[in-house]
Parts: sequence; C-alpha cells; structure tokens
Amino acid sequence: MNAIAEQYAAQNVGSIFLCTHEAHPGENYPHLTSMEQKFRHACDLRDILGVTRPILVDSLDGACHRAYGSMPNMTWIFARSGLIVYKSDWTDAHSVENAIQYFSQIPTRRKAGERLAPFHVERLDYRNQDREKFYKGLERSGQKAVDEFRKAFPTG
Amino acid sequence: MDELLTRYNYDSFVPEKFEQWLNFEASPKTGAPGLDFPLWNLDQTPTRLSEIWSQHDYTVVEFGSFT
Repeated sequence: MNAIAEQYAAQNVGSIFLCTHEAHPGENYPHLTSMEQKFRHACDLRDILGVTRPILVDSLDGACHRAYGSMPNMTWIFARSGLIVYKSDWTDAHSVENAIQYFSQIPTRRKAGERLAPFHVERLDYRNQDREKFYKGLERSGQKAVDEFRKAFPTG
Repeated sequence: MDELLTRYNYDSFVPEKFEQWLNFEASPKTGAPGLDFPLWNLDQTPTRLSEIWSQHDYTVVEFGSFT
C-alpha cells in the first residue's frame, strides 16, 4: 500500500493510514486506554512497521472507525467532493490499485468531454492470505494475541 | 473509562468482544457522501476526514492498527 501511494501521488491520489483500536491486543501492545497510548502505537506503525503514508489517529472511542463499519483492516476511497467511490471490508493492494487506475482516468475523461454518469457495481475480489506474515504480526503484539487468535480460529 | 470505550477497545480477541464490531454491511454505501469526523495527525494537531479527502482528486483511506 505504501508503494501504491507513492506510485499514484503524481496523479493526484492521496493516501493515508487511519489508526483504530488494537485488533489483537497483547502483552506488548495492549488494548488502548488513552489517546497518549494510541499516539504511541500510531508512531510505531511508522517507526517499526514502516508505514510511509501520513498516519492519522481516530478518537479513542473510534467514532470514525465505527461509522464506517469498524472492520480491522478495510480500505475506502473518497472523491474530492467526499463522495464514497470504493469500499472494501479487507485491504488488498491489488484491488486498491485496480480501483485507483479506474478512478484516476475519470478527470481526464471528463475533460475530454465524456458525459459520465455513476452506477453501482459489486465484485468479489481476492486477497493474499500470508499466514506467516500475519502470525509474525501477532507475535509482535505478544503471545496472548497469538493464543487468542488460535483459539478463535483453530484452523486459521 | 465509560462503557463504550471499554467495549470498543476490547482487551482480548474473543468472539464475544470483537464480533460486535464487524459491521461492514451496515456501513455507508458507495455513491453516498462520506461521513466527516475529527481526526488527529501524529503530532497531535487536529484535522478532519473532510480536510483529507478534499486535498486530492481521490483519497485512499486504509483503516488499521499496529496489531
């Protein structure tokens, strides 16, 4: 997602990472109890996980996150007017890039005189399930996070 | 800490605590105007989601956490 942000920035596509509650609290990254702690965890997204996009922090009660469905790792795309043009319940870089490639042509098509009308489309995309990477993430949070995930999803 | 803060910032990844937050089906539809909320930059200065989406033709917002 960082690479996509850099690749399409010149086409007037902005990208941010919005910090929510901890999905898998553990010994090292426990559940949030203060904004100060939330800012510390958000800084670690940049300093440890290498998120290069601007990182923004939601309120402690997750008002923004909850209003958009509060999935643990979802992606939304907004037009400059605020119109919602894309929403996915999980983040997948291929899906997001595909959408950006489509939407980034819209201003050019309008300038070229095309008369465009919006319509809805539903599509089932596929994400890469890198279990090794996922479990490494859980381990960073702590053994508690690993054990709880294994208990919740024994075949996961 | 009030009840909402405790429930939202659950302390354990157990179904009775995390499943209540998986509400994508009830989220705003594409084609609808985005809902605006106050947010904060990493330096703790305030901003808003509308300030973010109004800066570019399109803006990608990934929601997530360290864990």
